[in-house]
Amino acid sequence: MSEDVITLKNVWKIFGDRAEEAMRAVESRGLTKPEVLKEFACVVGIADCSFSVRRGEIFCVMGLSGSGKSTMVRHLNRLIEPTSGEISVLGKDVLALNNQQLREMRANHLGMVFQHMALLPHRTVRDNVGFPLQVRGEPKSVRWEVSQRCLNMVNLDGYEDRFPRELSGGMQQRVGLARALASDPEVLLMDEPFSALDPLIRRQLQDQFMALSAELNKTTVFITHDLDEAIRIGNRIAIMKDGRIVQIGTPEQIVTEPADDYVRDFVEGISKLKLVFAHSIMEPIDSYQLEAGDDLAQSPRASHGTDLDQLIDIATTTSHPIIIQDDDGQDVGVISKSRLLKGIQGGKA
Amino acid sequence: MNDTGLEMGPRSLDSSVAEFVQENESYYSRQFEKIQGTTGFALSWNSMAALFGPLWGAFRGAWGFFWSFLVLELFALVQIGRGLWGELGAEQMARYEKMLVNIAKREEQARELIAAGNQADADAKLKIASNLKRVAAEAKEKADLASNEALSILVTGLILFAVIKVLEGFLANRTYEKQYLNWRANPTIQSGVNKMSALFGGFLIIAIWPLTLFRFTVSDPDKKLSALTGGFIGDRIPITEFPVNREYFAILAKKGDAGFDWLAINFNHVFKGITAGIRSVLDGLEIILIDTPWPVVMIVIVVMALRLAGPRVAIFTAASLAYLAFMGLWKISMITVALIGAGAALCIIIGIPLGIWFGKSKRAYSFAEPILDFMQTMPAFVYLIPIIAFFGTGKPPGVLATLIFAMPPVIRLTALGMRGVPESTKEAATAFGCSKWQLLTNVELPLAMPSIMTGINQTILMSLSMVVIASLIGAEGLGALILEALQYAAKGQGLLGGLAILLCAMVIDRIAQGMYRRKVSGV
Repeated sequence: MSEDVITLKNVWKIFGDRAEEAMRAVESRGLTKPEVLKEFACVVGIADCSFSVRRGEIFCVMGLSGSGKSTMVRHLNRLIEPTSGEISVLGKDVLALNNQQLREMRANHLGMVFQHMALLPHRTVRDNVGFPLQVRGEPKSVRWEVSQRCLNMVNLDGYEDRFPRELSGGMQQRVGLARALASDPEVLLMDEPFSALDPLIRRQLQDQFMALSAELNKTTVFITHDLDEAIRIGNRIAIMKDGRIVQIGTPEQIVTEPADDYVRDFVEGISKLKLVFAHSIMEPIDSYQLEAGDDLAQSPRASHGTDLDQLIDIATTTSHPIIIQDDDGQDVGVISKSRLLKGIQGGKA
Repeated sequence: MNDTGLEMGPRSLDSSVAEFVQENESYYSRQFEKIQGTTGFALSWNSMAALFGPLWGAFRGAWGFFWSFLVLELFALVQIGRGLWGELGAEQMARYEKMLVNIAKREEQARELIAAGNQADADAKLKIASNLKRVAAEAKEKADLASNEALSILVTGLILFAVIKVLEGFLANRTYEKQYLNWRANPTIQSGVNKMSALFGGFLIIAIWPLTLFRFTVSDPDKKLSALTGGFIGDRIPITEFPVNREYFAILAKKGDAGFDWLAINFNHVFKGITAGIRSVLDGLEIILIDTPWPVVMIVIVVMALRLAGPRVAIFTAASLAYLAFMGLWKISMITVALIGAGAALCIIIGIPLGIWFGKSKRAYSFAEPILDFMQTMPAFVYLIPIIAFFGTGKPPGVLATLIFAMPPVIRLTALGMRGVPESTKEAATAFGCSKWQLLTNVELPLAMPSIMTGINQTILMSLSMVVIASLIGAEGLGALILEALQYAAKGQGLLGGLAILLCAMVIDRIAQGMYRRKVSGV
């Protein structure tokens, strides 16, 4: 279950004519990004990034524009060559592949969806979706059959013979998704796929994508600049700033334990109701009883995995504190009203 | 931050003015403030600028000011010089004196003829002499008039000079303030005072003013200069024309001749091969267009127009073909079309791969760009000469001349189309495992196609415009018809031939455009 599909180790990318030199200087002298820019006129795109993605996981990379997230995802299929570091995908050292092997890897194992769709305007939707298979040398009958199936998956059946320009932005992006799925890759790379869409369509596509994802169980690296989206979709989130990964964690960890002020600023406006669970705001029964006396007799019970939203529902039906149980049904803690309110306010009591 | 003047506030403005002007800060900051505080024309007088004129401009690095007033002052000085010492009407005077000599000679001859008893001839001579006298009197009058103008020219010159000085005084600070604003945005612009640049300005004035003044105020400047400088300037180095004849030109031209001859002899087989290649394409086209019975060719062309460009173009095409046929121009029209067809086909076959290459490689394109410019701007007659030298005369050299002229558009537009393919689309295709070849055939070429089609269309039309020129080196066809009309001033023939070329061009263009539109509006 927790087998690593993608592993990055100390990946650096420096753009510019003197990248190699700058890299050596960074290694020996530990220059910062502005120093590298000043001394070598090179831009640090990715700085010392390491992470791994487990099989079947949706791994979100979140950052503002210019933080290096799109650069990073392009390293995974080597659209961009790193300046230094190790990258392994599906157990293969990506950097050691020759051209032929690299193409084979891209065509068979890595699907990619782009922010600006990048569909081929002179091809019909069907031929666009079948394009990865054509590259692989599949006959037309196979291509058509597969593209039909993929278009069904994204609810676009009936549009096979249209041209991309005849479709709306949301539909075009679904074609993009169908194209990425056509070669049945193990890994999906999604580079801000929904960023260019309006909020309503974006939400629809997110839902559709999550449903598909649950069904197909593809390992996904999902790039976004929208923390809401990352929290909604991701199993884990990496937050990037200036080419560095600032924090990696589950949505709950990111929201409740921001690693620094930068992340804290980000999560400030995020609703915690569905991200914070009973176990992180409860207090031990003993200390509660010491302070408040024993009035737990009529308290309702809830599992330790109950989120704040559900806890509020329970709390509105009773005037007593809520007793929290672990998986085995043991009472492990108590949440009083004031504690619950504190939790809603700060995420952590 | 202060040094770039980026900080706001009156203090930093002041200090940046000081830094800009370096000398006389308080004066200039007051003047600049005045200019900036006035809408419309601010009366700001700069005595130094009025006094020194262009030299002030050079000293302050205001080179626009320098050059403008260098020229204006020079103009005023020339007027003053002409008024003071210019030999106005000297030319007319010289003419008058020459004529006097001439008249005297005629009268002398007349006297001799009378003495010899030949009254008739003597009368003729006298008549010429009296005619000459009238012309001479006119010349004298003009000369007197001109020398009387001296005073008014002098006065005009003086007034002009005074006005220029006033202008200098009033414009200097405004110009300088503009320069200051530019300098704030771009600190590399000259600021402060600079003795070297004043020196340079002085040098320019010394180099420009005296010779120019001399040239325009003195008659026969070369002779006078040579008298002044002991025969060095003016005699050995004349100032009225460059002291070189065509000796270098002749040497180089001869070398060029030798080079061409050498190439023509040593690479004979290469040129022969190219000629043979072009001829085979040409022969193929001629068989299709000329040897095929005319009804077949006409039907095919009209149907093609109908299918590719619609009924209106088809009717126009049919009418054009009828014109060609009834004027008896069918065969030579088809020869012309074959010529164009061969030229255009070769342009496309060679041009598109080159365009692809130039579209992909920036370096190759920057190398090729001047060559393409050269091919398009060079007058056709210039490359007709080497083409004749290497390939002789006839149709294949004609096609070759067409190639040189008509290939650049298809190359350029193919390269343009290739570079216009969105990087993101190429990236997406690469991400799905495309090889370079797959990328080219599946993504780049289809997306560049509209641009390429435009290039092909242009190439065809430019080939047509070369038809007449190609006929100069013996390519037959409608061009030859027009060339013949030109030689014999046969207006009617020229008109009918010209119309035939026009119709050919329009038919080809309409059909090609129809094809292009079909391509653009969906495959």
